[in-house]
Amino acid sequence: MANIEIAENGILVVTLYGELDNHEANGIRTHISSAIYAGQVRAVIWNLERLGFMDSAGIGLILGRMRDLVPLGGETLILNPSATMEKIFSFSGLEKNIRHCTVEEAIGEMGGVLHEQ
Amino acid sequence: MNNEMTLSFVAIEENEALARMAMTCFITPLDPTIEEISEFKTIVSEAVTNAIIHGYECDGTSLVTIHARIDEKKVSMTVQDEGAGILNLTEAMEPMYTTRPHMERSGMGFTIMESFSDNLSVESAVGSGTIVKFEKQFSPVTETSRMR
Repeated sequence: MANIEIAENGILVVTLYGELDNHEANGIRTHISSAIYAGQVRAVIWNLERLGFMDSAGIGLILGRMRDLVPLGGETLILNPSATMEKIFSFSGLEKNIRHCTVEEAIGEMGGVLHEQ
Repeated sequence: MNNEMTLSFVAIEENEALARMAMTCFITPLDPTIEEISEFKTIVSEAVTNAIIHGYECDGTSLVTIHARIDEKKVSMTVQDEGAGILNLTEAMEPMYTTRPHMERSGMGFTIMESFSDNLSVESAVGSGTIVKFEKQFSPVTETSRMR
């Protein structure tokens, strides 16, 4: 399951829940891609704090959206993966995109404006 | 504790979760750590997904068969399909190699399986199918691991 919202300044925040496998990735891929194209998105934050499981389908999903972002010059950050997920990301060279912080801090890093709730 | 099981299911994507759940229950008596469970689930998920998508192209009728055994703290497992088979195994096992880039398969499945398991081996023949075999040794239960 994925919750997709646009924060300030064209930053898309995708919060993933449950188990991300091939079946789940196929179900949410187009929603995330559409949000990127429709929303003038320049950066994506993947919040994995609530994700219970992920296999290589997660790599495919995130790399695929990084490709969507290329024409928009976009950045990608992956927040709070589990120890096992972190290993999986590092096999694919994505460790430099990982942060252990809050969504607000990640938005701050990307230069977005954080409004008071 | 020793135990043994076999599970067969048709090649549909929904059964990726079924296989992970069944195998997680099977290894629970070994009192694994969170990280051991999650690595084990990842290996199962990669092998079963390969059989469903690449072996059978999600045909919904052919059977994927999992066999697993527990000997003390070691789990030995096979994931078998009688589907398409792999033409070039060396190439298939290279990181980032995939025959399905349009499906956003990352080509990292075998790399992940090899890293998270012990003694992974793959036998495959074009037109007759693929068997993935691996073992995973679980850590002995200690007072420290119980507190995790």
